[in-house]
Amino acid sequence: MLHSLGLPTIDALFEDIPKGVQISRMGIGPGRTESQVVGAIDKILARNKPISRFSNFLGGRISSRYLPAVVDAILSRSEFYTSYTPYQPEASQGMLQALFEFQSLWVELTGLDVANASLYDGATAAGEAMLLCRRIHLGDRFLLPASLPWEEKSVLANYGAGLGLKLAEIPFDPSTGRLDLEWVDREVRVGDVFGVLADVPNGFGLVDERLLDLKGTVGTVPLVVSADPLSLTVLQPPGEYGADIVVGEGQGFGMAPSFGGPLLGLMACRHEHVRLMPGRLVGATQDVHGRRAYTLTLQTREQHIRRSRATSNICTNESLLALAFVVYATSVGPARLARLQTDLAEKAHELAASLAGIDGLTVPRFNAPYLGEFAMELTQGNATGFLDRMLAKGILAGHSLSDPRPAARSGPELVLVAPSQSTRARDSRKYVTAAREALRPVSVGAV
Amino acid sequence: MTFRQARWDEPPLWEISPPRSPPSEGPTAVIPGLPERWVRTTPVRWPELSELEIARHYTRLSQMNFGIDTSAYPLGSCTMKYNPKVSEVLARRAGAADVHPYQPESTVQGSLEVLYRLENLLAKITGMREVSLQPAAGAHGEFVALLMVRAYFQDHGQLEQRREVLLPDTAHGTNPASAAMAGFTTREIPSKNGCVDVALLQEAVSERTACFMLTNPNTAGLFESDIMAIARTVHDSGAMLYYDGANLNAILGVTNPGRMGFDVAHLNLHKTFATPHGGGGPGAGALGAGEQLAPYLPVPRVAKAGRKYHLDYHRPKSIGKVKTGYGNFGLDLRALVYILSHGEEGLRHVSRRAVLNSNYVADRLGRFLTRPFGKLVKHEFVLSGAQLRKEGVRTLDLAKRLLDEGVHAPTIYFPSLVEESLMIELPETESRRELDAFVAAFERAVKDTPEHLREAPHNLSVGRVDEVLAARELRLSWKDLRAAEAVRLASLPPVPAASPTPPP
Repeated sequence: MLHSLGLPTIDALFEDIPKGVQISRMGIGPGRTESQVVGAIDKILARNKPISRFSNFLGGRISSRYLPAVVDAILSRSEFYTSYTPYQPEASQGMLQALFEFQSLWVELTGLDVANASLYDGATAAGEAMLLCRRIHLGDRFLLPASLPWEEKSVLANYGAGLGLKLAEIPFDPSTGRLDLEWVDREVRVGDVFGVLADVPNGFGLVDERLLDLKGTVGTVPLVVSADPLSLTVLQPPGEYGADIVVGEGQGFGMAPSFGGPLLGLMACRHEHVRLMPGRLVGATQDVHGRRAYTLTLQTREQHIRRSRATSNICTNESLLALAFVVYATSVGPARLARLQTDLAEKAHELAASLAGIDGLTVPRFNAPYLGEFAMELTQGNATGFLDRMLAKGILAGHSLSDPRPAARSGPELVLVAPSQSTRARDSRKYVTAAREALRPVSVGAV
Repeated sequence: MTFRQARWDEPPLWEISPPRSPPSEGPTAVIPGLPERWVRTTPVRWPELSELEIARHYTRLSQMNFGIDTSAYPLGSCTMKYNPKVSEVLARRAGAADVHPYQPESTVQGSLEVLYRLENLLAKITGMREVSLQPAAGAHGEFVALLMVRAYFQDHGQLEQRREVLLPDTAHGTNPASAAMAGFTTREIPSKNGCVDVALLQEAVSERTACFMLTNPNTAGLFESDIMAIARTVHDSGAMLYYDGANLNAILGVTNPGRMGFDVAHLNLHKTFATPHGGGGPGAGALGAGEQLAPYLPVPRVAKAGRKYHLDYHRPKSIGKVKTGYGNFGLDLRALVYILSHGEEGLRHVSRRAVLNSNYVADRLGRFLTRPFGKLVKHEFVLSGAQLRKEGVRTLDLAKRLLDEGVHAPTIYFPSLVEESLMIELPETESRRELDAFVAAFERAVKDTPEHLREAPHNLSVGRVDEVLAARELRLSWKDLRAAEAVRLASLPPVPAASPTPPP
């Protein structure tokens, strides 16, 4: 090939790179054979203790569920996972149809009109939803629950930083964890609020009845609801209680936790706002012969056409995980998904009831309805110490809700506990016994 | 090569098996304490299919989709290289996949080591001081980097004045979009012969400039040979120099952003480091920072003390979090596998071969279409299809016609400074045989009749798709299809009452 180009050496291909910026080496070591790499990676991964080795009660927006084999079989089709963004619709009908099915499913779950083809994760979807509110409604203040997980607050702060948006936290009732709607009412009347976010279940795992009345309080200010997809199989769809935008984290539908990534950002909105929406959209149309076909549409919203005036900078999204989401839901089916949610709720309530009365714990911390996870407060000691002692008994007992950054204000020591699909009665019994021991006061003089 | 894509008239899920309503087994169990108002009253309208129905449905759909394993993807700036199978195997190991981000650090030493090692390798490859893997994709990395630039100038009391991001007119669309999201105004600098016009840049930079964003080699496939003057110009004004790493595949082991003077750089691990594109995602957007910006990287940072790894949140200047978790770990692992496999010499060879491929194909295709810029290109090159317009053929037609040959179309109508542009990149994983096949396919396409070109594609599951109709009559979900069907039925003339059957 060099010869056909009339070039003497391969270095001639790089003669346009000034000597002053060339490097002699990167210093990354020699290459390895496939078997050597497998050996090296397996050695590293052996230092992990996967979830399956523990009794697992970790939740938050990420869960570990049984993945039907058919999901990974479909995702392993290389026509899907090695394909590019379907900019050429004629070469990409398979992925486009799958994404259309995915969009349809999120619309059915949320009760809204339009879903996009995915965003990075639930937290960034909330960030994008905030920016969408800002395009819908004037103002510079965004309201979010004080109970929102600190990570999501931080992501929202970053998504708002560029436009100078101010975040204000909606207080909650200290005993029930409910949103303070009177506060919201007062703040909205100031006139500078462009959007409000609430989550279900919320950061404490609660299903807050006042969320059902929130739209009535905020009026024309857009309401964003961040909802767990599984919860929507049993709870009212947010579209029915006035949500204008619904976002969520889709990982629980067909994806492994994978140390927190990749995840799946979900977003749906109303027809009237579709032209302001971020992300790719797949539409149904026809080909020249009148046959059913799908294509990316309304691309004039997007960065590759609209550049600095685009509705978002997003390009690469999470298409393959959107495929996992729809395959999972169709394989399990809506009835069994609802059963899974009620089973998880039953396990959570049983565990909370068994833990009640242990000295050093307030459980559940809030007197309000919850589904599959609940918050408890450690009234003595700190969450990290408790979780470490539980770990020693083979239990992933939950995660601390405290912001670990040194500058963060210290608050109560809250732990979010989420039984998983694999949790059995004996895991819960083990949890109770271990918690009692972990919290037993050490008697003075004990050897 | 003769190519015929499968053509299944595969209905959407809800036509295969309409959802049962009401579902046979509803949520019989009651959730304790859940108010009646919260209980879903409209059942979730979604089908439940058997495993065979699902497998067949999606296997058929997959047969109507191009992928790297079946087709070369000459997509400029997308670096569609082969995705090694071993990475897929390793990313599915329980030790990688079955790990929760909130597990105690002592139980995730392996995951932390993967991140730590990859960050360090990428720091060496890019010449940057520190690397964060938290951004989910390239554009996300751009946004995060610009937030860091913003925080830096805020700390230095210059944010009020430095509100402008400069970019060349060849910049990827994500660059101006990311800058706008981070609250900057943008200004595009016209290029000269496909490269930054340093004189115009010197006129444009000022104490109002926050950052100059540059891809090098750029989207015309040219190395910005004035890079040292560019870096000096930008830094003399007190602004930052941003490296868009979409085109890193051309320069591995030859130069790097740190050496070129960039202050911050994002990499698309799904391009240069061979993680699969997944039909549009997930990707992974590593972000490297030099000395000034490193303190602003997102938290947590992965740190090592003795032999133990931990998550370090003690970064007072950090902008905080930009995503749940620590990045797209599954993709990070694949990228690590790729780098460990290749090593120093392997990665050098990647760029040599990618640039050789590009020059070889550019030379061949230059016989059919105009090459607007200089002869020596890097990993990609640009052609202009303008000469076909006199026969009424557009670049779009040529792209569709190429699909008929079983190869993907190039990137088209970008960069926009070239009329009817095609941007072509065939990475190092494509063999000489594939390159020659692509050239032959391209030649057949260019020499085809204008009518046949305008009607292309002919061999795919569908003919030319009506994108105008899609945008005019929005049908974005099954719900929209139902609504449209209801409107159609309502507009039909009433069905005449059936005449009574005469008695026998």
